[in-house]
Amino acid sequence: MKKSRLRFIAPIAVITALALSGCSNSNLGGTADADPAAEAGPIKIGAVLDVTGVGASLGVPEQNTLTMLAKQLNADGGIGGRDVELTIIDNQSTEDGAAKATSKLIESDKVDLIIGASRTGPSLAMRPIAEAAKIPMISVAANVAIVKDSEWVFKTAQNDVVVLERILDDAEAKGYTKLALVRDATGFGEGVADYITELGAERDITLVMTESFEPSATDFTPQMTNVRGSDADAVIIWGINPSAGLAQKAYVQLSVNKPVYHSHGISNQAFFDAAGDAANGVVAPMGRLLVADQLAADNPQRTVIEQFKADYNEAYGEQPSGFAGHAFDAWHIAVNAIEAAGTDPAALRDELETAQWTGISGVFKMTAKNHSGLDASALILAEAEDGRWNLLKD
Amino acid sequence: MFTDFLQLTVAGLSQGSVYALLAVGLIAVYTVRHVINIAQGEFAMLAGLGSAWLTASGMPLFLAILVAILTVTLVAIAMERLIIARVKKLTPLTSIILTLGVSTLLQAIMLLVWGPEAKGVPLFPGTNILIGGVSIRSQEFWMIGALVVVGGGIVLFYEKSRWGKALRACAEQPVAARIVGISPVAASVLAFAIAGFVGAVAGVVASPIYLSLWSGGVLLGLKGFVAAVLGGFVSFRAAIVGALLLGMIEAYVAGYVGSGLRDGAAFLILILVLVVRPQGLVLKPTAVRV
Repeated sequence: MKKSRLRFIAPIAVITALALSGCSNSNLGGTADADPAAEAGPIKIGAVLDVTGVGASLGVPEQNTLTMLAKQLNADGGIGGRDVELTIIDNQSTEDGAAKATSKLIESDKVDLIIGASRTGPSLAMRPIAEAAKIPMISVAANVAIVKDSEWVFKTAQNDVVVLERILDDAEAKGYTKLALVRDATGFGEGVADYITELGAERDITLVMTESFEPSATDFTPQMTNVRGSDADAVIIWGINPSAGLAQKAYVQLSVNKPVYHSHGISNQAFFDAAGDAANGVVAPMGRLLVADQLAADNPQRTVIEQFKADYNEAYGEQPSGFAGHAFDAWHIAVNAIEAAGTDPAALRDELETAQWTGISGVFKMTAKNHSGLDASALILAEAEDGRWNLLKD
Repeated sequence: MFTDFLQLTVAGLSQGSVYALLAVGLIAVYTVRHVINIAQGEFAMLAGLGSAWLTASGMPLFLAILVAILTVTLVAIAMERLIIARVKKLTPLTSIILTLGVSTLLQAIMLLVWGPEAKGVPLFPGTNILIGGVSIRSQEFWMIGALVVVGGGIVLFYEKSRWGKALRACAEQPVAARIVGISPVAASVLAFAIAGFVGAVAGVVASPIYLSLWSGGVLLGLKGFVAAVLGGFVSFRAAIVGALLLGMIEAYVAGYVGSGLRDGAAFLILILVLVVRPQGLVLKPTAVRV
């Protein structure tokens, strides 16, 4: 070919190729048409987890759990003979990482359901994307804002409001009237001060001081010094590990000497690793997983919990944390719903809204209005002693 | 009120000691080689993670720390020999990009080997004391002590010992130093070894309280950089003073203004120094280095 001709053809060819590839990805129909071939192919479940970054102590066990459960399920024949394809993407504990991962899962991987993220901030970033695409999403993070007034988003971690109820009930019983709060500065800690004020109003408890810390923080001297100087009767530290554990360590080292509660964000071994001896005496609400051996023999959750602990220990050589339990519940709730209703998004969402599941995080009863399905009975109060949790109040 | 101020000051001094050690490492390398070592923070994290892993595997604490510090020193020397020394025309910009690459490489290795979760060395022996309402942790004594011993030692080395003076000669008058017989290769290796050693000490001594993480070196290195700028990137003493001040200002900002603004304080100081007084805290701005 003559050089001048080639000069025209080459760019036109490139542009055509790009345009064609662009067209094939987007859904020109606008709605998710039921593709007959998809009904027989694998069921696709996507997961966006905080595997690296500040949420790693949550994301890694969740990743382990989902991988293990997907393997088990496929070995048992999948769902109705169809294999389940699990795609896990690490959002690096960032909000935009989570948003990008969600878009990718929905648009290129074409998943039927998404599980994630491990923490509140990324989950909130994922929520609008799932809702716009009308794909059901099950989060494993704490803040009730994730599911408030949502049509498509559910969650399996206990709501922060419910956790605070347990803490404030205990504080009221012990006669504390003034509380100080040291909270995670991200979405997980967002709104906690308001909930405490609200719930405290009914119990004659006021919030006298709020301090915050980044989840990546390692020095807590300023916050703990301020708390020490306040007139609070008790302190609530609201964060995840390692920052919550380090905060507890600083709390003890700076001789704050006030009773302290933590959130359910510390329900893993990393708390003891970070806080060491300083963890002794900490009271926190959490699911029943970490005190499974102290539950009554007829507790409905006991069988599920012990089976999970055995399976996880066999697969990974260590005990699972409460967060692994949230992922376990999300998976089973999702799989049960898909078994009953198939993969059509609207039917799946409707089925999820009626989900009932006795799981690790609690006994779930989802409804159209309540996409969390758990109330205060899902939590127990535990006290830390020498590297283990003792059941205080069921 | 006053006890709070003292409490924050103590925290600031111990954090500042870590920054000071890193700044010493940065300046040591820069004065001899005109290389801004972006990987300085990673030396600290590498030593911290390494010693945490060794103690978890059963090695006694001080042996583990020694092994970790020695290993990181060797890594620094390897970095110099294998990467820095091979570049013929080393401008500060090239050096930044090169060391940034090394920093990324080290971070990836640390992530692969030790995973994404933070790990800490067990607390060094000692007891916490409570003076007049101010609680001082034993580890903070170790951190400040490390600065006094190691940082002070490096300063004395540069000023009193023969090799130290040889390094200063290389920095001030590279050509004349070569003529006199001071090997530029040896000087370069020694400078990087010092940087690795000092960074490792900082990482190991801070690890029990602040934990070591694969990605923690970036912010730490940047704070060390700010401290080095406060020293005009030439003076060890000014950098040490600057680092201690930086630590204290960060603690005050976090305590009195808001803890979210803590890191911002460091960078605000950086901008102010570069704009208003580029020679930092150095009293006599001279053309002579070190």
